[in-house]
Amino acid sequence: MIEAARDGAIVAFVLLGLFFTFVSTAGVLRLPDIYSRAHTASQADTLGAGFTLAAVALAIGFETGSYKTVLLLFFIFITNPTAAHAISRAAEEQGIEPWTTDDDQTDEELYRDSKLETDGGDNE
Amino acid sequence: MVFVRPHTPFFNELFPCDLHTQSIGGGGRPVPDNRLLVPVAESSTLRQTVEYAVRTALEGTGSGYLEFVYVHSPEVSDERLGDQAEANIETVTALLDRITVWAEEDAGDNSKELTVESTHVGRDRYLFSPGDVGTALAAVANRNDIERMVLDPEYNPGVGSPLLRPLEVELTRLTDVPVEEAPVQRQVRRPPLLLRSSSIQAGALFFVSFMFYQVLAGTFGLFDLVTGAISGTIVAVSLSRITFNHDPSVSWIGRLARFVVFVPYLFWEILKANVLVAKVILQPGLPIEPRLTRVDTAVWGSLPVTTLANSITLTPGTLTVRVEGRSLMVHTLVPGAREDLFDGGLERAVRFVFYGRNAMSMPTPRERDDTTILQPRDESKSLESDGGPHSSGKTAGESGGDEQ
Amino acid sequence: MMPILFLSGDAMTDVFLLAAAVFMLLATAMLYRVIKGPSTQDRVLAVNVLGTNTVVVLALLGAGLDVPSLLDIALVYALLNFLMSVAISKFTVEQGGVL
Repeated sequence: MIEAARDGAIVAFVLLGLFFTFVSTAGVLRLPDIYSRAHTASQADTLGAGFTLAAVALAIGFETGSYKTVLLLFFIFITNPTAAHAISRAAEEQGIEPWTTDDDQTDEELYRDSKLETDGGDNE
Repeated sequence: MVFVRPHTPFFNELFPCDLHTQSIGGGGRPVPDNRLLVPVAESSTLRQTVEYAVRTALEGTGSGYLEFVYVHSPEVSDERLGDQAEANIETVTALLDRITVWAEEDAGDNSKELTVESTHVGRDRYLFSPGDVGTALAAVANRNDIERMVLDPEYNPGVGSPLLRPLEVELTRLTDVPVEEAPVQRQVRRPPLLLRSSSIQAGALFFVSFMFYQVLAGTFGLFDLVTGAISGTIVAVSLSRITFNHDPSVSWIGRLARFVVFVPYLFWEILKANVLVAKVILQPGLPIEPRLTRVDTAVWGSLPVTTLANSITLTPGTLTVRVEGRSLMVHTLVPGAREDLFDGGLERAVRFVFYGRNAMSMPTPRERDDTTILQPRDESKSLESDGGPHSSGKTAGESGGDEQ
Repeated sequence: MMPILFLSGDAMTDVFLLAAAVFMLLATAMLYRVIKGPSTQDRVLAVNVLGTNTVVVLALLGAGLDVPSLLDIALVYALLNFLMSVAISKFTVEQGGVL
């Protein structure tokens, strides 16, 4: 009985994890610019990884392995947003403009503009 | 006699300096020569620095003027923090009193030529980086016609990690006032207070790294205990000075307990917002409406701001792009996430973690009028006037970078 | 006994291995962003997501194949992945001054 409940929870967590990782992948592939991609990359992905690691921790049970999984979860929850912040800050400092709904430019064009700007800045 | 002007206990305006240059004997005498400014904080070489500063001030024929400035660290500088801030003010007052007594002692017979003043700045501002501290010190120096600054080699105002660009470079950049380091002997026996505090830090770091090692090893065997102790000691000795800015204190236990309460709340927020964003992303039309916004948060100190910025990033739909002091530049993906951000639920929760239940009841960022939408770009120009001195200039400069 | 993929007879092992396979598929899809870019940051971001997926796959394999030491590798990989993202981001901004 308890076994079945645990197995059910594991399967549910794995499915949730897969769903949110899928959302994150779809987001990174579909969204228009680096900033909005960083959203899904840091958040949906963190949650997806979190659910899947929770499933792994449940499956392993109370052994050292599950402590490691919890530790892993903790690291991912701290490092993923930090990395996303670092990446988007780097993009911002390079002068890449965020995409808005009024923009009809694609992100390649925005990126090219920022390139031109940065080059212009270097020549000064 | 030594003319001692007591430091004024409270400042409410920007870098206030209501200390007038008063020389002994009234208004008839000229402004004294050898005007020195010494930034002070608790340090092992403070006593020697004071001695050197007094000696330098009394050099030559003219009279000397010494100003000791204490710069508050951001974590404890806000009046709204209540008791903690009061206790901090008392400590600072005691430190400045002690320094004044030392200066009197060192001046000895020459004391009639020496004017000693002391002041503290930064209680009303949040001085985050060496640059901020430098600006505050430069403001004091300019108002009081300071000719030289003497830096304590061990001076560490508690902002940022020691790895940041040192204060000396910042001061040279910000003012024309020559800056010199007091020639102190570093190898002196340290005061017991400092010795104890750094051993607490090292002990805490040893404990954390030792426990981490044991969790990874998992067996708690003799071999693991011995190797764990060895590596824990190496980590504690080599890294404790850059791991902690302050001593871990009892208040951290309360913070940790409240953090445990905070985690489920954060997780619920993450889950809620993730479902919202997942709905948006999986729709074929991709109905997003991204905007860059700025929020001036009501949390103080590097750790609370970091916690808040990371929580904001973790909550889908909002991403912290840039942090300048308390001012966060947040990219928001959908209007719903933007509203949540401006309602400040996370901000209130972070205040609860770090300052306790009493700090929760503050107006939301929207009510405080601390929120701005930076895009479209022409809106960002209009905010240059009302923002902070550093952030708005930089932000506007960068988001309007294609003007040149 | 080493289980054969998807035919191990143990339901949980199958679940974990299947999930790992799907994670690998999603990671492969992420390669599109790595190649296409357009900016360095896009690539770094995609590699970061790929790295997180790798960590999850390592943990899933560790649980599914009953190899606990894979969790240690996952831990180290997670920390290295974070360091890589931050280091490259800092490098692109400060042009060489990483630390």
